[in-house]
Order: sequence, then C-alpha cells, then structure tokens
Amino acid sequence: MRMIQRSWKIGGIALLAYVLWTTFTVPLGPGLLEFRELEFRERNEAAFSAANTNRIETYELIGLGTHWTVQPEELRLFIRKGDQIAPLPVIDVIDDTHAQVALLLPDTLPSQAWDVLINHPVDGTLFLQNGLFVSGFVVDESARLPRPQFEERIADLPHHFPFQPRIFETIRNLMLHVPMWFTMFLLMGIAFVASIRQLSQKAGGSSLFDLRAEASVQVGMMFGVLGLLTGSLWARYTWGAWWVDDPQLNGALVTVLVYAGYLILRGSVEDERLKARLAAVYNLFAFVILMILLMVLPRFTESLHPGKGGNPGFNSYDLDSSLRAVFYPAVLGWMLLGTWMYRIRLQATQLNRKLHRLNE
Amino acid sequence: MIMLHTLLQANPIEGFFFGSGKSMVVGGVAVIIILGLGLWMWRMEVRIQRLDEAVTRQANGSNESTTA
Repeated sequence: MRMIQRSWKIGGIALLAYVLWTTFTVPLGPGLLEFRELEFRERNEAAFSAANTNRIETYELIGLGTHWTVQPEELRLFIRKGDQIAPLPVIDVIDDTHAQVALLLPDTLPSQAWDVLINHPVDGTLFLQNGLFVSGFVVDESARLPRPQFEERIADLPHHFPFQPRIFETIRNLMLHVPMWFTMFLLMGIAFVASIRQLSQKAGGSSLFDLRAEASVQVGMMFGVLGLLTGSLWARYTWGAWWVDDPQLNGALVTVLVYAGYLILRGSVEDERLKARLAAVYNLFAFVILMILLMVLPRFTESLHPGKGGNPGFNSYDLDSSLRAVFYPAVLGWMLLGTWMYRIRLQATQLNRKLHRLNE
Repeated sequence: MIMLHTLLQANPIEGFFFGSGKSMVVGGVAVIIILGLGLWMWRMEVRIQRLDEAVTRQANGSNESTTA
C-alpha cells in the first residue's frame, strides 16, 4: 500500500532521471553559423562566361555539427531571395564544418541581401537567414535569375535537438529553466484553491487550508527564484546582459515580488485568524496578477524571449517533436518534485503548529 | 570530467556539446537548480528532524507530568 502511495514520487524521480540524461546526451542538430568573404580576385579563365560578373570572390561557409566530409561532392549551396534561387559552386570542403565557395553570379541581381541554403544528404537542407550581403553588383528588382532545380532534403541523422541561431546548445535549458515556471504555476494554483477554500469556511473553521496555501507559496517562490536566476544566466550569454527591459522578464520578476509580499504580510500579522483571512484575500489577487503578467500581457506585446513574438505558448516553430519528447516529461517530472516538496513543507509547518500547541 | 569524456565518446561525430561555447550556460543552469533544490531539501530535512525531536520530547514530558 505504501509502495502505491509512493509510486508518484518514484515516477517523478524516474522522469527527472530520463530528462536529465536525455538533456545532456541528445546531440544538437547541424546548422549554419556564418558565410564570410575570404578573398577577392580577378576573374580567371575557368570561371569566365559572358553572363557572369568579371570578378570572383571566395567565401567561407561555417557550420556547427555538420558532416560535410561525408559525401562532400553532394554538398550543394544556394542563395535565395523570395522565389529567386541561385546556385553557388563549392570549391573545396575543408572539414566537416568548413567549406569554400565561389561567389559566381550575374552582374545584375534582384537584391543585395540573400539567405544562404545548403543541401547535404546527411545534414538535410540548412538555412542561414540574410547570410550574404553582396556589394559591387547592379541591383535591379526586376532582374530574374535562371531557376535551378532545388528540393529541400530531410536530415539523415539520429534523434537530435533542433539547431536554433544564437540559442545553440542552450536550447537544452528548455528542460531545466522553463519547467521551473510551470511548477511555480502549479504550486501557486494549489495555493489559490486553498485560499478560496479557506475563505469559504465559516468563522472559526480549521486553518488547514491556510497552512496549505502558505506551504505552496513558499515552495512556489523557490521555483520562481530558480527560474529568475537560471533565466538571467541564460540571458547574459545569449543577449549579452543579465537583465533586459522585456515585458516577459519584468512580469516574472513582479510576480515573484508580489508573492514575496504575501509572505511578508503573513509575517507581519500576529492574530492567526486575521492572518489566515488577510493572506487568503491577498493570495487571490496575487494569482490573478500572475495570470495577467505571465499569461495575458505577453500575448499583446513583442518579446525577445524564445517562444514569444506575440504568443507566449511554444508553437511548432520553437518546439519540434524531439524537444516535446523530453520537454513534456520534464514538466511533469519537475511538477511532481514540486508537489513532493510542497508536502514536505506542509508537514514541517504542521509539526511546528503541533509543537506550539504542546508548548501552550 | 570522466562523465563528460564518456559522453563525447558515445557521440564521436556529434560530440560537439562544447562547440558553440554555450555548453557552460546549460551546465550553469543545471548547477543552480540542483544546488538550489538540494539546499532546500537539506534545510527541510534538518528542520523536520529538529521539530520531530522537539514534538516527541514535549509529548514525553507531558506524559510524565500526567503520570506523576
């Protein structure tokens, strides 16, 4: 019987063990980092053609986690602007992540800024937005390039996390940082329900619900503070600052401060019944503020935060199936751990209450 | 270090966890969470143990006084 009662705790630990293992062992998928100019030289005979420009520039393509030495002859590079696509010849594959490319293009181009794409049998189609900015060409928006054969390829790689520009390996934080907030939501939700039940009791009723709300907020605060600290560390190495003036970040900080106010309020009232009622009323407003600041406002504002851009939910662009396979167990696992911690905290509070009664 | 070496050995081609220079951010985040939760658990363990002892002592004391 005790085993069954503990099964959810064992399940939580098992989920977190799976999450931590996969978070650190699943490789990151390949991606393009940079397409930079290496050298400029006058046209040589081999490159000569009446339609091409009278100069050749050599560019270097740099990837991350790519496998270009596997079937290097199959590496194809294109530049794209809207529906206009032009192939560029790959001169040499230096290693898995470096290749040299000749910028051999017509004199007249429809745009200066181009996206860079590669096709490779192992890495699939990779994409670097605005990776190339050409100069020295005649720009005519009506110019049309001969349309080459281009088909998107799917990567032939084992299970891997998606490559996101600038985020890179820190996409793994999705399993660590984000569930902190989900767990906080759950715990503050428990506190909200407990506060409603506390207020719906007749005068002189039990204070059990008040104790539950207090324990839940205390543990929820712990997860909120961890969410702030881990988010701040991530921001420092992704955005270059420990904190930026962003509605999502400011909302999270204000929410944690509002709940800190709940604990301060509790500490400042001596009378137990008055404390229970005041704290319950405050907690109802605190939960509404949490919902507004973290769930509603981000939908109406732009944000730097991943998964945002008008929608605070993780959409298909940000969260692919490889991430979902770890992220959902992570949320469940951290929530189970949070619930467990809440029960431990409640047990401690009840023991404290019992001791006070014995002392009286 | 041994564990990290083993991970890299397990994924020789994809062993580029350190390639982007951002792996330490993931490590830092994991350390903050594990330290934070670990410290909380340790404090609660000490607190509950202390309270449990105090309650038992108090209960025994009141029983003795009732018997006397």
